[in-house]
Amino acid sequence: MQARDALNYDYSVAKCFTYSTILFGIIGMLIGVVIAYQMAFPELNYLAGEYGTYSRLRPLHTSGVIFGFLLSGVFATWYYIGQRVLKVSMAESKFLMIIGKLHFWIYMIVILTAVVTLFLGISTSKEYAELEWPLDIGVVVLWVLWGVSIFGLIGIRREKTLYISMWYFIATFLGVAMLYLFNNMEVPTYFVSGMGKWYHSVSMYAGTNDAMVQWWYGHNAVAFVFTVPIIAMSYYFLPKESGQPIYSYKLSLLSFWGLMFVYLWAGGHHLLYSTVPDWVQTMGSIFSIILILPSWGSAINMLLTMKGEWGQLKSNPLIKFMILASTFYMFSTLEGPIQAIKSVNALAHFTDWIPGHVHDGTLGWVGFMLMAALFHMAPRMYKKELFSKKLMEAQFWLQTTGIVLYFSSMWIAGITQGMMWRATDQFGNLAYSFIDTVTVLIPYYAIRATGGLMYLVGFLMFTYNMYKTITAGKDISSEPQNASPMSA
Amino acid sequence: MNMETIRELQAYGYIFFTIFLAVILYSYIYHLYRDEKTGTRNYEKYSNMALNDNINDLPVEEISPLNKEKE
Amino acid sequence: MFHWLERNPFFFAVGVFLVIAYAGIVTILPNFMESARPVVGTKPYTVLELAGRQTYIKDSCNACHSQLIRPFKSETDRYGMYSLSGEYAYDRPFLWGSKRTGPDLMRVGNYRTSDWHEYHMLNPKSVVPGSIMPAYKHMFSNNADIETAYAEAYTVKTVFNVPYDKPDMPTLGTYDESKKVVFAEAAAIVADMKSQEVKDAFKRGEIKEIVAIIAYLNSLK
Repeated sequence: MQARDALNYDYSVAKCFTYSTILFGIIGMLIGVVIAYQMAFPELNYLAGEYGTYSRLRPLHTSGVIFGFLLSGVFATWYYIGQRVLKVSMAESKFLMIIGKLHFWIYMIVILTAVVTLFLGISTSKEYAELEWPLDIGVVVLWVLWGVSIFGLIGIRREKTLYISMWYFIATFLGVAMLYLFNNMEVPTYFVSGMGKWYHSVSMYAGTNDAMVQWWYGHNAVAFVFTVPIIAMSYYFLPKESGQPIYSYKLSLLSFWGLMFVYLWAGGHHLLYSTVPDWVQTMGSIFSIILILPSWGSAINMLLTMKGEWGQLKSNPLIKFMILASTFYMFSTLEGPIQAIKSVNALAHFTDWIPGHVHDGTLGWVGFMLMAALFHMAPRMYKKELFSKKLMEAQFWLQTTGIVLYFSSMWIAGITQGMMWRATDQFGNLAYSFIDTVTVLIPYYAIRATGGLMYLVGFLMFTYNMYKTITAGKDISSEPQNASPMSA
Repeated sequence: MNMETIRELQAYGYIFFTIFLAVILYSYIYHLYRDEKTGTRNYEKYSNMALNDNINDLPVEEISPLNKEKE
Repeated sequence: MFHWLERNPFFFAVGVFLVIAYAGIVTILPNFMESARPVVGTKPYTVLELAGRQTYIKDSCNACHSQLIRPFKSETDRYGMYSLSGEYAYDRPFLWGSKRTGPDLMRVGNYRTSDWHEYHMLNPKSVVPGSIMPAYKHMFSNNADIETAYAEAYTVKTVFNVPYDKPDMPTLGTYDESKKVVFAEAAAIVADMKSQEVKDAFKRGEIKEIVAIIAYLNSLK
């Protein structure tokens, strides 16, 4: 080990993942906006022949934002936070540097191949697990590399106790590993029969079982990709940016175990009124409601961290992003359990209210926290001032408006459609044919797509701001302790 | 094993684990506050791990090179 | 004990893993035996239907169409008898979907015909005015992959004991035998269709994706 005076944190891997976060963010959100407009204006389906239809693009959007944008962001923040809270530099271990670089490049190869194969329609059809088996193996490899990097860095740490963010990163690693492996158990048909496409496979589970495993995965993939690592980020970036210690460290520990205990039991709420056993459905429902407690535990903890310092909300746009993210977290973790109540679910399931709910969480909570995190990291990684505070403010309001348009239109659309499906006339016959319930939604689809477009434009502003920060930001001599420096 | 036995085991497994976890969770809360009260350990100071995270800052609890863990 | 766990990452990880794995073990594993039993009368898909199912997956029809009828009057009135677990016994993967941008297709074979599907795929608005579904013209020019469909049927027969070649069940046999069955099945559908392109291709010995997917949709009852 070198003398500590000469030592600095090494952000080369974190920088790589920052670029990929931005790249896949643009791709994933752009496709999202396109498919949203396709629902309002179906002619847009024919822009790219077979490869441009809504149905081909939808898995690309979900996988693109989840495994491209978000996962890159998780890795970027891990390679940043990990070193800092363990007080050890990647530069101290050649081995970990190599693992980190390898991790990045294998990740890029897997995700770019995934983009191509999904365009070609090579898919297992399971939501958020569409990749065929050769790519699944790639995912396993990159995940193992990430594990080596986590536990390797922990192995050479100087800080004895693990910070709460580390807990959440470890949980992300373990949770996704378990879920992904079990949900993607499949038999490659070529190796059994010796014919057909070599990459084709068939699921190990059939019918109802397959559905149970899939939604156990689907629900918890949301937990361990959309929630757990984002909490890890918020527990680091919010205190650090504001200079305030976490309101109650003990509450953060309790919320962690609470979330771990409860989350996994709640997956049954995706299958209410389906053919899975009744008690799984009821339990899914009940646990979804209990889930409010640990979620709100974390969210309230974050809001209270700002106690007495609310002035920062006005002066620092990054705090604004993060506080709004926490607020959206509270909002969507209340909305979710409401939708998991059986009678509400009977109305809401299969309607647009569900994507509406997902986007509250992803656009408001995940997107905002991730962008704030990258904004916070940039001055420290590149030793530059953030390029423009004004642009940040504009981006904030544009995107917030976009989210509001998105979820309000989807609420109305979902509830309208749910009510129309079950409406009957005076003789007890169905009042509407299916297509009536589609055409009525078109204005809302247009509003939703416009909300999405505003969010995308905001993301492009973020990209520009980051780009200018890196290339043309004012140099800073020493690392800022708390609030990130920014030019007006 | 027939389905009834499995169902029963499932129900028992579920209830015992839930009780077990509830007990653990409450004793954890107790543990957190008792440690703080008796002065054994102050959990709130761990917040400083994020606030003072320069490579030259002193760790909140330094790991001594002699008793390093394997993992 | 708690504090020890907090500074021993390895045991900490084990603890987290146990907590999160347990829910899966209790809720998922035990049900595997029961819900895997097929309902009487449920048959595995023929090879042509499987090829259609693969097309259905390739174009992600399940992104907009569910295959799960919930036990409400409004749903059974609209789509037919509610779904039973055993009806899905041969569905690998399941295709319940999570969003009904279009109607449920669980029993679409009961009330739609081959020529309806043909018109619908070419131009959805021609049979459903106001439809927002895209046309799937490429299904009329792409060939269905019968070989992979056979490979899949053969695999599930070998690995999961799906009852092909049993009395009253679809025949599979060798690839050549199976091909004859596929062509006989396809011939019936092609005869119902109007597209000259598909008919000519069939004469040349090619089965288009549209033929396979119609076979699959007709089998959903």
